[in-house]
Amino acid sequence: MEKKIGFFVIGDSTKCTGCRACELACFTVHDQKENHVGKTAGTVSIPVVYRLFLTSFEEGCMPVQCRHCEDAPCLNACLQKAISRVDHQVIVHPEKCIGCKDCMQACPFGAIALLPYCRDGHTVAQAGAQEARIFASKCDLCQDRPEGPACVQVCPHQALRLVDPEKEREEKNIRAAQTLYLTRNSREGGCR
Amino acid sequence: MMIVSIDPELCTGCRECAQVCPAFAIEGEQGKPQTINADRCVMCGQCVQKCKSCVSLVMHGKDAYDRVRRKRNLPVNTTEPLFAAHAVCNLDKVKAALADPERFTIVQCAPAVRVAIGEDFREKAGALTPGKLSAALHKLGFDRVYDTNFAADVTIMEEGTELISRVKDGGVLPMFTSCCPAWVRFLENTYPELTDHLSSAKSPQQIGGAIFKTYGAQLENLDGSRICSISVMPCTCKEYECERPEMKDSGYRDVDVAITTRDLAALIKDAGIDWDTLEEEPFDAPLGIYSGAGTIFGITGGVMEAAIRTGYELVTGEAIPKVEVTQVRSTEGFRRAEIRMGDLTLKVGVVAGLKNVIPVLEAVKAGTLDLHFIEVMTCPAGCVSGGGQPKLLMDTDLEQTLQARRGALLDHDVELPYRKSHENPAVKQLYEEFLEKPGSRPAHHLLHTSYRS
Repeated sequence: MEKKIGFFVIGDSTKCTGCRACELACFTVHDQKENHVGKTAGTVSIPVVYRLFLTSFEEGCMPVQCRHCEDAPCLNACLQKAISRVDHQVIVHPEKCIGCKDCMQACPFGAIALLPYCRDGHTVAQAGAQEARIFASKCDLCQDRPEGPACVQVCPHQALRLVDPEKEREEKNIRAAQTLYLTRNSREGGCR
Repeated sequence: MMIVSIDPELCTGCRECAQVCPAFAIEGEQGKPQTINADRCVMCGQCVQKCKSCVSLVMHGKDAYDRVRRKRNLPVNTTEPLFAAHAVCNLDKVKAALADPERFTIVQCAPAVRVAIGEDFREKAGALTPGKLSAALHKLGFDRVYDTNFAADVTIMEEGTELISRVKDGGVLPMFTSCCPAWVRFLENTYPELTDHLSSAKSPQQIGGAIFKTYGAQLENLDGSRICSISVMPCTCKEYECERPEMKDSGYRDVDVAITTRDLAALIKDAGIDWDTLEEEPFDAPLGIYSGAGTIFGITGGVMEAAIRTGYELVTGEAIPKVEVTQVRSTEGFRRAEIRMGDLTLKVGVVAGLKNVIPVLEAVKAGTLDLHFIEVMTCPAGCVSGGGQPKLLMDTDLEQTLQARRGALLDHDVELPYRKSHENPAVKQLYEEFLEKPGSRPAHHLLHTSYRS
């Protein structure tokens, strides 16, 4: 089905145990190609950087990640044009990002963190300083991954789910319509 | 000494580790840092494999990584993620021994190491790399690169002989395997009344250690006191085993240091050795020569199969018609099989994963389990799934990885020139020159042990 609006991943605090398997999977799949991360911990040569954030609060915990807003404040705020919309999803292009934090400020969910930018298994240094370059790290829905978002796949408690908002709305419409049909029928039951 | 622990700074209290702990040793409230009950813990390291909560810039800040690395005594140039549940690291002791010109260093590697270590160098899951493993160990500077597979062959000679004599002479049955130290510890802790069911044969690691410092020293014409015996194990519990005070029948501590597969990968990286370009080398002779039977110790059912390959010949005086004893190849909880050996029908059982052992032990206690021999491995797929093996970043890769490691050990068995422990020429030589015969007095003194009850 053709996408009409952006998809997003959402966590469920009633199921999440806080194990952080989602964060580690997020790191793993995003750094396989560029940073030679293999299947085991021993293959990792860079800091663990991920794009969704386990968040604990008094009543529980869940990972928080990008909603892929349609009128995306981060995209609108980025003067470098380092954020764009690709196939309805809001995508950061880390090579253009200068770490100005405008997107971080603009995001109402705290779904963007500034984290070290790594290539070829090493952190990349800033142009004029020793420190590592940082980039706006946020969910891209694992856009190049045929299996879909890795976080959803690895969660041992199915506490994460990929939302197709338009499809879910249609499904809710159908359920609502069916419910109405049933209520009406039972009210008028036996009269036909 | 705690071999396995959980760092309260990094633990989120998810309790995923408690789900895989076979000893119910992980305690704590949901959402709060967990602790390990040291009395219950069998040090299998399954929690270490499970834990996904690592040091992160987002959660713990910029200085946390170095602080945790130092606290754990890991090499300075460590880059891999550091998780809440972790095992002790003894690489400094290994480095010190390698740097000391007075010490003669002998290393041994367990079967499961050669089908997993490649994964930490981006090889495919279950890559079979005995040649590279041996080459890397030589390059690190070990004076002799011997093998736990050889020691496993010796284990079969001792354990097989013991089994047949228990069956024929009315000894305590069923006999349990004793190669898995986590299982031994669990039995000692939980069912001390059943420890006389354990084979008195030591584990391959300890048999190797005892032989290297005696017969091995003799081969080098040097005193056993100069030898530093190091083992590379897929297992976090092997360090506990070699620290057991009774493990000194060579006259010295039989194994000085046990490190894990992951530790060795870190040591190879730390030494700047390029795994990809290593030229394959054999293990050193004679105590590095091994059979396929010694090799399959790394998978569940493997010890049983190896024992049957030799036991059949001990009982009947004839070679087993089919080397592969597929009836005992098990990956399920508890499998039973009956093996015809001439007039004797050997009844055996294989327990894969310590979680499945309790009903078996209860049946043994009640006297309702009519078996001669039971293999027990703590880790779910045997040593290939040990707590010291390369740690997967995503558990969705687990099943395929364990299958690949298991398959690689079975493939290795098929390609080896000897597939039965008693046919290993180095084992024959050891008995001819040093131990007389299996179960002899010198063999008993060096290669057998007793348990806490």
